[in-house]
Amino acid sequence: MATVTIQVNGRAVRAEKGEMLLAVLRREKIDIPATCNHEAVEAFGACRLCTVEITRDEWKGWKNYVTSCLYPVEAGLIVRTHSDTVIELRRTLLDLQLARHPRTPLIQQMAAEYGVLKTSYEEAPDGDDCILCALCTRVCDAMGFRAISTVGRGHGKRVAPPLDQPPPDCVGCLACAQICPTGFITYKEFGAGREIWGKQFQMVTCTRCGAPTITREFADNLAARREIPREYFDVCDACHRAELAGTMGRIAQWNREEAAR
Amino acid sequence: MKITSPAQLSRLQTDLAAQDKKLGKKVMICCGPGCLANGATKLVQAFRSELEKKRIRDFRVEALKETGCHGFCEKGPLVVIEPQGTFYTRVTPADVPEIIEQSIRGNQTVERLLYRDQATGEPKTTYHEIDFYRKQTRIALRNLGKIDQYSIDEYIRVGGYQALAKVLTTMTPDQVITEVKASGLRGRGGAGFHTGRKWESCATADDWPHYVVCNGDEGDPGAFMDRSIMEGDPHSVLEGMIICAFAVKSKDGYIYVREEYPLAVQNLQRAITQARAYGLLGEGILGTEFSFDIKISRGAGAFVCGESSALMKSVAGEVGEPRAKYVRSVLKGLYDKPTVLNNVESYANIPVIIAKGGAWLAAIGTPKSTGTKAFSLVGKVRNTGLIEVPMGTTLREIIYGIGGGILHDRPFKAVQTGGPSGGCLPADKLDLPVDFDTLTDAYSMMGSGGMIVMDERTCVVDVAKYFLHFLVEESCGKCTPCREGLFQLHELANRISDGRGTEADLALMEKLSENIIIGSLCGLGKSGPNPFVSTIRYFREEYLAHIRDHKCPAGVCTALIRYDIVAEKCDGCMACIHACAVNAITGRKGKVHVINQDICTKCGACMAVCRRDAVEVA
Amino acid sequence: MNSRLVVRPNLCIGCRTCELACSFTHSADGKPGRSRIFMLDGGHEKLWVTVTCLQCDDPACVKSCLVGALRRNEQTGAIELNQETCVKCMACVAACPFGCAILDHTHDRVVKCDLCGGDPACARFCPTKALDYRPIAQAAKKAG
Repeated sequence: MATVTIQVNGRAVRAEKGEMLLAVLRREKIDIPATCNHEAVEAFGACRLCTVEITRDEWKGWKNYVTSCLYPVEAGLIVRTHSDTVIELRRTLLDLQLARHPRTPLIQQMAAEYGVLKTSYEEAPDGDDCILCALCTRVCDAMGFRAISTVGRGHGKRVAPPLDQPPPDCVGCLACAQICPTGFITYKEFGAGREIWGKQFQMVTCTRCGAPTITREFADNLAARREIPREYFDVCDACHRAELAGTMGRIAQWNREEAAR
Repeated sequence: MKITSPAQLSRLQTDLAAQDKKLGKKVMICCGPGCLANGATKLVQAFRSELEKKRIRDFRVEALKETGCHGFCEKGPLVVIEPQGTFYTRVTPADVPEIIEQSIRGNQTVERLLYRDQATGEPKTTYHEIDFYRKQTRIALRNLGKIDQYSIDEYIRVGGYQALAKVLTTMTPDQVITEVKASGLRGRGGAGFHTGRKWESCATADDWPHYVVCNGDEGDPGAFMDRSIMEGDPHSVLEGMIICAFAVKSKDGYIYVREEYPLAVQNLQRAITQARAYGLLGEGILGTEFSFDIKISRGAGAFVCGESSALMKSVAGEVGEPRAKYVRSVLKGLYDKPTVLNNVESYANIPVIIAKGGAWLAAIGTPKSTGTKAFSLVGKVRNTGLIEVPMGTTLREIIYGIGGGILHDRPFKAVQTGGPSGGCLPADKLDLPVDFDTLTDAYSMMGSGGMIVMDERTCVVDVAKYFLHFLVEESCGKCTPCREGLFQLHELANRISDGRGTEADLALMEKLSENIIIGSLCGLGKSGPNPFVSTIRYFREEYLAHIRDHKCPAGVCTALIRYDIVAEKCDGCMACIHACAVNAITGRKGKVHVINQDICTKCGACMAVCRRDAVEVA
Repeated sequence: MNSRLVVRPNLCIGCRTCELACSFTHSADGKPGRSRIFMLDGGHEKLWVTVTCLQCDDPACVKSCLVGALRRNEQTGAIELNQETCVKCMACVAACPFGCAILDHTHDRVVKCDLCGGDPACARFCPTKALDYRPIAQAAKKAG
């Protein structure tokens, strides 16, 4: 991979040609907000918070504003991550988000960092915590289930299972709930069961101690798709360790007895 | 019967032309979108049945042609008798027997159906004499009104597919691209990117396969240029696409047609089937080694799917959301492969560029915007319809010269160009020559060719509200600045229209607009604030009137107006009482009528029916 | 990779220094329960066994990860879990036949042994060399 030199906030920085700008900026420990970005999924460019100002010598002063998560670096790029225009843009974006999600702690916190304590617009009376980052739907796609999707257009867009019914393709892995930055996606766990998106799941329980591990559907799917023996999933991690300890112990004991002879 | 050589095509063309000459008189019935809506189908039936009954000597049923849009939609349903060019307006089935007697059996004209000149009132016998037509240069629309829109033979008769034959047998892909570059053609969908350069980028991309896609989504409200071409001259689009496919080495093409155009889908599909039967699409076109086929992909009612990256996702069966275009779709487009996406009108220009040479087109228009542009001229103008003029024609020439000026001779207020992404231009911009760059410099844009004329009875705040509402509905919702920003911008515009706005709101809207433009992911968002930005630039006073004086000068914003009956003018005829849908008007016959402000919904029906001009809006 | 972590339970005195060393290396608040090496009962008198990731040649954890968060570090030979990519679906915790990927409740993340990037703290601090990180040729010889 070719290495190129770019300028970031006045300093020369090295990067791989074609690498996404956000990765370079993060490596340089520059704080760039980005709510829709996560390593597990491809960059999406929806929140626009990671926007930075770019220019090149040959542009003679003309500037462009691009989302760094999707912008491939090239030699000669000149980047400013916190220019007045960029700050103003981020402030506006967070102001708009605060109008729609006035009670969401993550948005309140991020908006406050950019000086917005109260929104300049009308607060949505029924604002929920879904900031439409689409991380949940994208991780579900990445894992191969495609159980949920964004539904609808524009302001009415929301995340939902097909036809708002319990999603047939969901295996209850909880990746969506885990990746959700605001905690909007919730689930219930009760003993050997789990419920998410209105769908009920039975957990695999350890044959040795009864502790629940992952859902049966998830275990079946992983075993079939990834060629992992299905039996591996029947014992929990603690009991697996105990089994290994038992095996190693027997070998060690045999070694002892051999040495004694 | 497959056509397997240019010579065979030429022979067919010669035969068809000869047969056509033998027809003598032809009756061209406009079956464009406007006239169809106005009853053209019944007109066709009436002509057919009358001609069956009458049995005119030397007149055969083949001489009856259902053509594409003639363009003068204001005066439809239109019937033209060729080769004379006799031009009949507002034709009804009841007029048909007389037209047949007078103009087909005989050589007379039916006076009462002729077009009357706006200024002099003088009747014009043929369309050649009418300014609306004389001042146009029809290239993309060249065949509309001249050929039967359902027949490939008609297209071939006027020279269709000759350009394709020339390309396949005497030119290399590079030469085709050179010719298109020489023409200076820029994308007619609105972005105005150089078509030749786009084709070159795709042709040289080393990633296969390559795709050719036609954008027939035409989402701008009020625009119907592409619809008319797709319905009225579908083969011109196909020919343009096949030539492009040869130039960029593609085997598969798609035409994306919006869901709301079922007739366009039908006519295009018929054309594709006909072209395949003639060996002009499919394997081994015109007997050469080149193969290319076209499929139609239908939209599902989303304006955002007219955006190129969203369109390509839609064609691939995915949700139509745009993506950041730091890597251009000409390199990573449909299925992430190099793709040429061009507009319907762009493709319609291609056969002419090949036939007459790129330099020929470059000589028309302006140096940086060559050729012509089709516009749908609508609104408060006398002559609404579909027109095509050389780039560089001024707004004044279009609106007054071709459009016949403002209805009822009211003062001109503004012209909205470029659809929701464009802007309003005021009277002092009337002498602006229309081309890509001048309109953009004036803070509007050409867009796909919508042109809406407004008079003093149009409120710019209301216009901004209307377009913002449209964009809020059509936003895909993926990115924050467009989804939330346009939503808030629309809410604020609503406040102003309702008389609840403040000057601080205006400042907030201006700042918000700047950020929406910088921050949005795609063109819809980036140009979304334009309805507000352009109107506040040129009509700030009107906004302030709403805010400071709580008045709507144009008399539109319902919260700020009232309808009143002027007692001195009212003659008690009760027409308005009958017209009022909510029974807000009281009064007996012969006595002055009164509007009850608590009930009145300000629909304006009373004003429309009053013959004494006794209803006023304030 | 040139070295392997060798475990000799017969040298283990059950001091749990390895667990402490592991915890402190991977987070400021070392808690034995958050260690990626586990000292367990060997099933015989005065026999303790330290169980940790075997860095399998055909790792079930890597196969189970649907987002590609688990990858082998070619230098150290260790299977590393990328915290930025991990979505905490617990597939690896359930799939590992030796139970060597665990959920660290304190920091709400899945963790596993990564051989400390090539200088495993557990081996460095083990007072009896029951845990020893050695070049492979040597490792094979000593074991035999």
